[in-house]
Amino acid sequence: MLPGRSILNRLSLLCLFAAPLVSAANSEREPIVVSEPQYGEVLYYFYQDDYFPAIVRLLAAQEQQQLIEHGEQAEVLLGGLFLSYGQHLEAAEIFERLLAGNADPDTRNRTWFFLAKIWYQRGYLEKSRSALANIEGDLPDNLQREALMLNAQILIDAGEYDAAIASLQNWKGRTEWASYAKFNVGVALVRSGRIDQAAELLNELGDMDPFNEELNALRDKANVALGYALLQDGQYYAAKAPLQRVRMEGPFSNKALLGVGWADAEMENYGRALVPWMELRGRDLLDSAVQESMLAIPYAMAKLDSISQAADHYLNAIEAFHEESNRLDRAIGRIESGEFFDAFVADYPLDSTGWYWELEKLPEGPEARYLFHVLASHEFQEGLKNYRDLNYLHRNLDEWQQNVDVYVYMLDTQQQAFEQRLPVVQDTLARTDVEGMVQHKLGLDATMDNIERSHDWLALATKSESDMWREVTEIADTPALGADIPEAAEVRDKTALIKGVLQWDLERDFNDRQWNVRRELQDVGEGLVQTQRSYRQIDEAVREETRRFAELGDRVYGLAPRVEGMKMRVEDSLSRQRAFLREIAIGELQAQKDRLDVYTIQARFALAAIYDISATAAEVPE
Amino acid sequence: MTLLALGATASAQDAAPMDADRAAEQARSAGAQDAASRDQFRSIDQDVQALKKEVLNLNRDLFLLEEELLFPANSQVAFFISMDVGEYFDLDSVNIKIDGKEVANYLYTEREVDALVRGGVHRVHMANLKTGDHELVAIFVGHGPHQREYRRGATLNFDKTIGAKYVELEITDRVKPQQPEFIIKEWE
Repeated sequence: MLPGRSILNRLSLLCLFAAPLVSAANSEREPIVVSEPQYGEVLYYFYQDDYFPAIVRLLAAQEQQQLIEHGEQAEVLLGGLFLSYGQHLEAAEIFERLLAGNADPDTRNRTWFFLAKIWYQRGYLEKSRSALANIEGDLPDNLQREALMLNAQILIDAGEYDAAIASLQNWKGRTEWASYAKFNVGVALVRSGRIDQAAELLNELGDMDPFNEELNALRDKANVALGYALLQDGQYYAAKAPLQRVRMEGPFSNKALLGVGWADAEMENYGRALVPWMELRGRDLLDSAVQESMLAIPYAMAKLDSISQAADHYLNAIEAFHEESNRLDRAIGRIESGEFFDAFVADYPLDSTGWYWELEKLPEGPEARYLFHVLASHEFQEGLKNYRDLNYLHRNLDEWQQNVDVYVYMLDTQQQAFEQRLPVVQDTLARTDVEGMVQHKLGLDATMDNIERSHDWLALATKSESDMWREVTEIADTPALGADIPEAAEVRDKTALIKGVLQWDLERDFNDRQWNVRRELQDVGEGLVQTQRSYRQIDEAVREETRRFAELGDRVYGLAPRVEGMKMRVEDSLSRQRAFLREIAIGELQAQKDRLDVYTIQARFALAAIYDISATAAEVPE
Repeated sequence: MTLLALGATASAQDAAPMDADRAAEQARSAGAQDAASRDQFRSIDQDVQALKKEVLNLNRDLFLLEEELLFPANSQVAFFISMDVGEYFDLDSVNIKIDGKEVANYLYTEREVDALVRGGVHRVHMANLKTGDHELVAIFVGHGPHQREYRRGATLNFDKTIGAKYVELEITDRVKPQQPEFIIKEWE
């Protein structure tokens, strides 16, 4: 496979902004050209949103210098993986280093935007602000709107309302983002006591023609915010109009109905106030507006001199508040005991899923209905992500701890087996006289050299030929053959002939035989070279294996305490994170309980006053 | 982007609807609480960030140790599955035999196939093999063009030398006959 430059460039962009672009990439199905399998393996996990194993593999491949072709892309990918996994400080370090150079403006701007976003959500407001300031030129439309909103939000958080409003002045396009931003500025202005300015912004939102459900909800929310701001400012009549614009069935209708009632009550029109308040009867008591209406109704009735009815309503309210308070106690107990967090981890074993994940629904349980508001806070959401990640790390270290124990055992077994086999190998090596064999072979070479030099054809005769030559020579040398008789002459002729034929044959075959011997000697030589090589390899392997055992032993034994220590630190961090989340959750439940307590006291006080009035009235005729 | 909660205005109303001063006081106090909570979160978050980085580095060391321990470089052979385009083949599973012995039978999920199609490479098997000649047989099972069941094999005879060896089993598209092709490649 050959590296494809353009595809890799596209990849690096895609990697940076994992989740938001993954779905888009899904539809495009762009094949990526990978020239190193380790890099492809990282991508395999990355594309499945398994960021933790992807990062581990990438770090391991970098450590082993296996990413040569993809070196630069791997670094960008690592930054993207860190960002996706919520490791924003690590990600920023990489990006600041890589993007300072020659990264294209689009990549640089997107990176700064995503860093700004994660930093804002994690409460690093200054970092978020400076990341946004690093964006040069325009982002793509969807990100540009979000960036503008983020910038306005940072200004609001810093109390710079005028700057926030000014930043939203040039908002272009028909979009929800502008409306959200305006709403946030409006609420911030209310908080700072600038009611008139807030009223202008919120009224604009509260009177808009929404084009989707999201904007409908925002419109209701703006009307409620405006209505209450005016109520607090003593503008009771003016408060009614925005409150009456809220939809009757929406999530803000309870607060709107309560507010409309209070506006009428403040104008001493108690009969009229009862109309919206009575509408709240039977709605979910979890809503603070419904709770308050249970006090407001008897309050108005008392004002209208319906004392007996008012007393009944106060009694009902006290009973209802008591039951609700008991339910809250049980929910607080479940959070304190840790059951809530256990259920959360059991419901969301999402392991290495990253920062883009958002919890939309709490695990089923008595506390879930009370924690609805808490879910909207960044600290709670991000805290839950940390809690989930820490749980994953704990499980991960737990598994490694078990594995390391197995590795210790495995290494010991391997070492034992090696030590048992080593003497046999060493004995065999000691008995093998490779040097003697080499000398012997060199001797044979020298003999062959002599045979060739002296053309000693007899030296290459086979055993039977040698035997025959010796026999014939012995016969020829027999003294009796020297006799001058015809029989001796005949034998002499025959032996001479035989010797001649034998010599002829041996001389004829000399070259072939010489070649064959030389070839065999060459084979022996090669065999000896191979033997020497194997000898060296075995010798090296023995030394290498000994060194390997020592090195692996150091690592395995060194890692075990590291894993243990890290596990303890994770446990410590886990309990700190749990305490933080518990504090937020219990704080929310306790606030609801405190409110119920205040209402209960108010109801009891009002009831006592009613009884007092009734008793006084009863005494009058006497 | 989360909206600013109506908290300040609403909670002021809940307690005493007409008391603007008290509402402002509560709003200020809520703001201070937000800041304190944010600071606390940041402190924990910085700890968690540092810890996560350390655990990642520890995992890297453990990953390398595991590989070196279980698959020493001299005998290590890694088998990878990759896909190029993948238009004509929907992968279900891969079966791998080395020297006639089945060593892996991997069933792919949709998510994993998607990761392969987009350029991911899956390490399907790791083995320790002696130096010398070996035979690899890979059977790819899935669906071919027109959703027809598809089962194809590919074979490679390879020489394992000293040092790690990587073998890639690649599924590619042959455009002209509109058929998938299965290729086995060696990487040293």
